[in-house]
Amino acid sequence: MPESSAKKKQANRNHDLWRRLTATGCRLLLVVVSLFFSCQRQAIVQKAPPADRHLPYNFVGRNGLVVAANPLAAEAGLAMLKSGGNAVDAAVATAFALNAAEPFASGIGGGGFMVIYLARSQKATVINYREKAPQGASPTMFRDKGEQEGMWRTSTGLAVAVPGALAGWDLALRKYGTVSLARAAARAIEIAEQGYAVSQTFSSINKDEYERLAANLGEGSCYLKRGLPHEPGDVFRNPDLARTFRLIIAKGIEEFYSGDIARRVVAAVQANRGIMTLEDLADYKAEEVAPLLGTYKSYALVTAPPPASGGLHLIQLLNIAENWPVKGWGPNSPRTIHHLSEALRFIFADRERHVGDPEFVSVPVNRLLSKEYAAAIASRILPDRTLDSYPCGKFEESATAQGNTTHLCVVDREGNIVSLTQSINDFFGPGIVPEGTGFLLNNQMADFSSDPESVNAPAPGHRPVSSMGPLIMFKDGTPLLVLGSPGGTRIFSSLAQIVLNVTEFGMSLDEAIEAPRFFSYSVAGKPRPVSVESRLPEATISELRKIGHEVTVREAYDKYFGGAQGIMVLRGKKMILGGADSRRDGWGAGY
Amino acid sequence: MTQRLTACLGFALLLCSGAGLSAAQNTTAVFEQPVLITSAGQNAEVQLAAVLAKRAGLGYVLSKMATASDLQNTKTLTLVLGASLKGLGAAGLDVDKERERVRTLVAEAQKRNIPILCLHLGGEARRGQQTDDLIAEFLTLARMAIVVKSGNSDGFFTKICQGKSIPLIEVEKTVGALDPLQKAFKQ
Repeated sequence: MPESSAKKKQANRNHDLWRRLTATGCRLLLVVVSLFFSCQRQAIVQKAPPADRHLPYNFVGRNGLVVAANPLAAEAGLAMLKSGGNAVDAAVATAFALNAAEPFASGIGGGGFMVIYLARSQKATVINYREKAPQGASPTMFRDKGEQEGMWRTSTGLAVAVPGALAGWDLALRKYGTVSLARAAARAIEIAEQGYAVSQTFSSINKDEYERLAANLGEGSCYLKRGLPHEPGDVFRNPDLARTFRLIIAKGIEEFYSGDIARRVVAAVQANRGIMTLEDLADYKAEEVAPLLGTYKSYALVTAPPPASGGLHLIQLLNIAENWPVKGWGPNSPRTIHHLSEALRFIFADRERHVGDPEFVSVPVNRLLSKEYAAAIASRILPDRTLDSYPCGKFEESATAQGNTTHLCVVDREGNIVSLTQSINDFFGPGIVPEGTGFLLNNQMADFSSDPESVNAPAPGHRPVSSMGPLIMFKDGTPLLVLGSPGGTRIFSSLAQIVLNVTEFGMSLDEAIEAPRFFSYSVAGKPRPVSVESRLPEATISELRKIGHEVTVREAYDKYFGGAQGIMVLRGKKMILGGADSRRDGWGAGY
Repeated sequence: MTQRLTACLGFALLLCSGAGLSAAQNTTAVFEQPVLITSAGQNAEVQLAAVLAKRAGLGYVLSKMATASDLQNTKTLTLVLGASLKGLGAAGLDVDKERERVRTLVAEAQKRNIPILCLHLGGEARRGQQTDDLIAEFLTLARMAIVVKSGNSDGFFTKICQGKSIPLIEVEKTVGALDPLQKAFKQ
């Protein structure tokens, strides 16, 4: 073999080897790169929360996520999801935990609404566990108290409606859950027994409600520390509540509605000049009802029906907003605030006139939610000045009016969703704790109208109108946004602003939640001031005053506007984002 | 070595006595009873102040809406500082009307040479623009101020008090205000 030929062969061999090596290297590189990106896709990139809790911060999950008004409660929900529970199991575990960790806002002494979406059947349903008036209630029961009416409505046994939370959670678990009440309550018992450090939010609310608590709580109540409010950092324990949960687990919810706990509830209510009886408690039933449906542009909205008015008015407000170029006006611009405030005043006029417990009164839901009615309201609102009065809509009685009708959100691995709002009404309710039970009763009777002629006047067995509006929003048939908030009558205004922040102004979920808020309403058709957070620019406030609004400037991040929690499902990115409101102790936990 | 130790101990004692002197100055009994307690801002802490006054054994009257005529038999006016929109709403007031009420009250107190004791018991949570405006206006008129420390984390109270030579006592928690409150009053 000539030397040149041998060299050529060797060169070819080298070339082949190089080609093979290169190809293998490329393949290896490809594998490494794809592994890297695949790992990137699988990993949950959860940055540490910013030091300034008001800065927008999204909680991230891939399989499931819980957001709630308290970190311990959100973690309790997450633990349930991780151990194989579904969204309903986790929602009930979170709700129980909230009773222990955020006892001043909700618990077994109160009630609420739970919107459930079942991914497999693509069905949505609602559990209504709103409290009911005792049989002894009458339309004039508060009016008869004269100047003391306010105190009777909020701070006495007369303010207490029959609690529904436990019946609602139990119904949800039995119908749509997979775990027992015992498992759902397990973490809450630990929280109540082990205790936790009181937060700034807890402490400031404890101080705000001190007068009522000092008057109504018995000696040695855990809700005060040696007769004074808890300070941030104090350890709060509630062994009585843990014992109550254990008793309920051992004997079933009947213990609460007709056993020893029921007797303690009635004794506490009657000792504080209330009218609830053992029969009232024994008669209480939570119920499953059809959700209320609406749309905003191409988004479908699913929420709780009356007597939860929050969802109804949220849809109504968004229907009206559809008639305006809100996107062009910008978030929190004087135009946006002016138009939405005027719309809110019309909506409050409708609320006063038309909304009551659908089990007893005819609520013209379809008319209130019609796009034509919304367009008619929008056309009455002037761009450059406020109106003098805001009349309610006049509808004929309809035989087909749709009857029946705190926030946490859960999305599980299967795509099931719960949007749950519940309450004991005022923070710390009336400040009444049935002896030895550790839980606060509600003062939801205050949600009835003081006008005996109102459709929402107190009456035996009626549920008072609530402003709650737990929401699930869909895009192209798939869930996009789960949202809700506390905040009394501000609930639906705050929810509408968050929805608009996301859909019109392109904000991320938590940006939308943390953005400055405003609110207005009307009483008897007359305008009330626009309340705004002080973060709004002075120029905006001046412009609103120029248009004719009286403006009340509140704190920069004011609990008055609620404490919203939300989850956004980004199907394309296979990612779930949670937003939790820094106006309270909102927190998220995902995996 | 012994000399060095003695010197260190001496210096430490000097420091301690200085601090003690400052605390003693701050808590000298300068106020007399009975006390009229009201808020500047309709905050909930006015109730706490009343409980502390009771525990301190002081003779006091609590009046959320005190006016000049309530000063008749008063030897000390206690203003609990902090605006609460909830409290203002319940009282049917706005911040401007409340400011006017307190202005009239303190003007009358000054006319009668009634000293003013300012309390801020709400901590960090009871700060904000409206509260700060009230503090800035009324704290300057105080003979003494007792504040929960977290409300003064930015030195807001310190700055005003130093500017006007007002003794300022910081306490860690609300209940900590009991002792200086007791010492501030002649028995």
